[in-house]
Amino acid sequence: MKLLLSFLLSSFIGSLSVLADAPQSFIRINSTKQNYNVTQPWEKTAPYKRRALGAVLEGQRVLTTAEVVANATYIEFETLDREQRAIARVLYTDNETNLALLEPVDQASILKGLVPLSLSQPVPLGSEVDIWQVEDTGLPLLTKGTLQSTDIISSFLDGHYFLTYEIKASMQSASSSYSIPVLNEGKLLGLLTSYDSDDQILDVISPEIIDNFLRDTEDGNYIGFPSLGVGAANTSDPHLRAWLKLNNDEGGVYITKLAPDGAAAKAGLQLGDVILSINGNALSRRGYYTSELYRQVYWSHLVRGEGAVNKAIDVSLRRGEETLSYEIKLQRPIDGLVPTDTIGSAPRYLIKGGLVFQELTKSYLQAYGEDWESKVPLNLLDAFAHPEDYEQDTDRIVFLSSVIPTPATVGYEFLNSAIIEKVNGQPIRDIPSLIKAFQKAELDTIHSIELDSAPHKIYLDAKLSDTVDTQLRQRGLPALSRE
Amino acid sequence: MIFRLTGLLLAGTLMCSGQDTASDHSAQALVSANSQQSQSPLASLNEEKNATHYKSIFRIEVASQNPDYKTPWNSGRFSGGSGTGFLIGKNRFLTNAHVVSNQKRVIITMRGSSRKHTARVVHVAHDCDLALLEVEDYTPFEDLSYLPIGEVPQLESEVRVIGYPVGGDRISVTRGVVSRIDFRPYSHSRIDSHLVIQIDAAINPGNSGGPVLQDGKVIGVAFQGLRSADNTGYMIPTPVVRRFLQDIEDGRYDHYVDLGVAEFPLHNPAMRAIHNLAPDAPGVLVGAVTAGDACDGVLESGDILTSIDGHQIDSEGNVVIAGERVKMHEIVERKFAGDTVELNFLRQGSPREATITLRAFPPARVYAVKYDQKPRYSIQGGFVFQPLDRNLYASHRLNNPRVRRIFNNYLEENLHETRKDIVILTRVLDDPINAQLNAFAGNAVASVNGVDVIDLNHLHEMLHPETLPEFFEIRFDGIQRPLILQTTELESANKRIAENYSVPSPFYLEK
Repeated sequence: MKLLLSFLLSSFIGSLSVLADAPQSFIRINSTKQNYNVTQPWEKTAPYKRRALGAVLEGQRVLTTAEVVANATYIEFETLDREQRAIARVLYTDNETNLALLEPVDQASILKGLVPLSLSQPVPLGSEVDIWQVEDTGLPLLTKGTLQSTDIISSFLDGHYFLTYEIKASMQSASSSYSIPVLNEGKLLGLLTSYDSDDQILDVISPEIIDNFLRDTEDGNYIGFPSLGVGAANTSDPHLRAWLKLNNDEGGVYITKLAPDGAAAKAGLQLGDVILSINGNALSRRGYYTSELYRQVYWSHLVRGEGAVNKAIDVSLRRGEETLSYEIKLQRPIDGLVPTDTIGSAPRYLIKGGLVFQELTKSYLQAYGEDWESKVPLNLLDAFAHPEDYEQDTDRIVFLSSVIPTPATVGYEFLNSAIIEKVNGQPIRDIPSLIKAFQKAELDTIHSIELDSAPHKIYLDAKLSDTVDTQLRQRGLPALSRE
Repeated sequence: MIFRLTGLLLAGTLMCSGQDTASDHSAQALVSANSQQSQSPLASLNEEKNATHYKSIFRIEVASQNPDYKTPWNSGRFSGGSGTGFLIGKNRFLTNAHVVSNQKRVIITMRGSSRKHTARVVHVAHDCDLALLEVEDYTPFEDLSYLPIGEVPQLESEVRVIGYPVGGDRISVTRGVVSRIDFRPYSHSRIDSHLVIQIDAAINPGNSGGPVLQDGKVIGVAFQGLRSADNTGYMIPTPVVRRFLQDIEDGRYDHYVDLGVAEFPLHNPAMRAIHNLAPDAPGVLVGAVTAGDACDGVLESGDILTSIDGHQIDSEGNVVIAGERVKMHEIVERKFAGDTVELNFLRQGSPREATITLRAFPPARVYAVKYDQKPRYSIQGGFVFQPLDRNLYASHRLNNPRVRRIFNNYLEENLHETRKDIVILTRVLDDPINAQLNAFAGNAVASVNGVDVIDLNHLHEMLHPETLPEFFEIRFDGIQRPLILQTTELESANKRIAENYSVPSPFYLEK
């Protein structure tokens, strides 16, 4: 009992002592967000709010995470004491790295008196860092943490992995819990993206990534982070090593996927190649290279974190018996058949006579809820998992997402999720081509629609579906298509 | 009178089609027994008669051994249960297939007796959940009467369910009313649907296989209940029972046969206009035709099926039989492999007709739960390979979307023509030889050293050649990276794995 008391006392005193030198460099961000309704793509779902703490930078700019401003309909700054507010706007946002840069719409005084933070250099493992939160009352709240390790993590947009600091700290929940600044010796080290209270581990966007993001914004023309366009597996399996004739002292990663038109494919890399080193950094069997600061870092950081679009990297690889060198000019990742980054973009759709057509996106599949992979229609899941089998025929997977019961869709009520191949004899590559194909009925007064599954061909009365379209608009659908 | 008439009708059916086999005798026996019993005048049911019935209804105790698809080399789980069965002819006991599934020992006990009579399964039909048993020594049963098989009862008519359900040792009787006659799924195999009669008397575990009686005749075999509703029980009606008895007359049970056609309703006005169909014109659209099944090469997707065996088909695929509107597939329900079906259809608007011959189509059974079969498998280097079927799908978590798609579209995409089995690497028995290769489990094997896999036997042969290649290069559906297995230490590894994991045999291949 006594022990506990003294502990509480000391921590209380500890907090008090730091309050005095809390940096005057934070501002609250209140954002109102609204997502598109993927099952009824002509409308949006109910709005909701997110509160975050932004880090003030030079030039009246505020850094936060992309998650805070994604799909936002309204963003405002608010002083820590909640006395003042001002409308904010997004300058740049990057869903891959989960970073966003904001500024006040009207260059008003809301940021006046705040001290811009400069960016900290990367710090070695074991460094102590400051995590800043703000109580509802406006009192700053400091938690000390230790940089325990680094990892390659996707914090917002699935499939995009960037260098992330793993910081050990025991935090309390406070208001403005999205995007919390992490400082090192008064300089901005990173932004917190998630906190695991069981393990007491924080994921923090690393200073390298923040630095690259800010540099990219400097010339006013934001490009984004580079990609190599490969998927790779480790080579620790001895059978695979023997088969590939890898020497015992070699590591390397085995290429299992090549994005068509990606940087690696363009440069001539092939499936089955083994990447031995990048820019002189030898890769281990599990794909790690040695870093002075962080000991071991996964190879993808050499591309996505240290590389830049249009800059080349040197890759040494093993193909059969040969060791080859390639200079590969990096480029932006290419949006695949099923786009993953649809955040903030309105889904394209067409409603014809009550048939609702959409383009397949990952967010559509995710709308099936937790465990969506076991719930979504199998044909759509297969197209998502194996786009390479569909790519030659189409640019987007256009499918029948639902059937609104109307006089024109009688008998079609249970036709769901079929992929559309042709309409009125014209191949369908995306929603715009579908809209065009519906403009003139092939069979005079009847539209024909070819599907990838039984019954393979259905028909729609052109005149009747036009009438239905008019009625649907009267029933409150704001628009029957979006390109 | 009614009694006799039914008996004669039954005899007629049996004698027409069972022309050449030994089991004709039992069919005769059944008939003669029925007519003998029907000597009694049209007396209303009385105590004495009930007691006679009760004597021909038995408790069936079964000890079973259920294979474990997770560890197919193991003997499986020993368990047991009990159900009901009844005498329909000389040494012919009818019960449900699910009562005797995976049986290793079957015992029949009579009402009011403790004596256990050893029985065996003569025929079992998992697709309609019926089985025929016989006892080793029939002498003690000689004096018992056979329960006659009746017709489909009227809606709202009263029936009695008799059997040995849970809740006591003695015979139990419940009464109910016929509340629905419908075409419904049979839960035993999961994929078969036949005629079902619903009654408002509960059917409980142990009732299975017992007779449902009306006016002293069997009008159904109690077989399943409904978890989500009280007081509903289901029975297998006599047309299904008769079909089973007719099928086994040649000494063998062949499966139900199918058209192999998926229809699509022709309700849509544009759909009807494009096919020049008047509002009241008959016909349903052929959506898909299963390759290798009865209609393959005759019907095409896009045809309009207008009649089947002279019965006009409506826009939803229904026909009218005996005043009842039923699915057109019910026409085929009552037929057998080798029987023919007359089809009338429209192709591009012009009328055509064809006669198809129904045939057994084993690939369709991939979706049926299997019983009475030892699971097939082959193990090499600790990699356990098993053919994909309903049992396997239920016992392993197969998350790979490609595997799920292959299973789901096995018939629709005609995969059965090139891949008799979809072979899955279900498990890796960890050993130094396969360390780090665990992640491949759950995928479908596409090829071995460049040769596409046809079935489990084919894979087994390729993985056990006379002289081992230096490497096996195993490729999986939807996965770029191959599984490489260096064969140098395979032999010693196999020995070690068999010992460590107690695998008595590295494969079981018979179908």
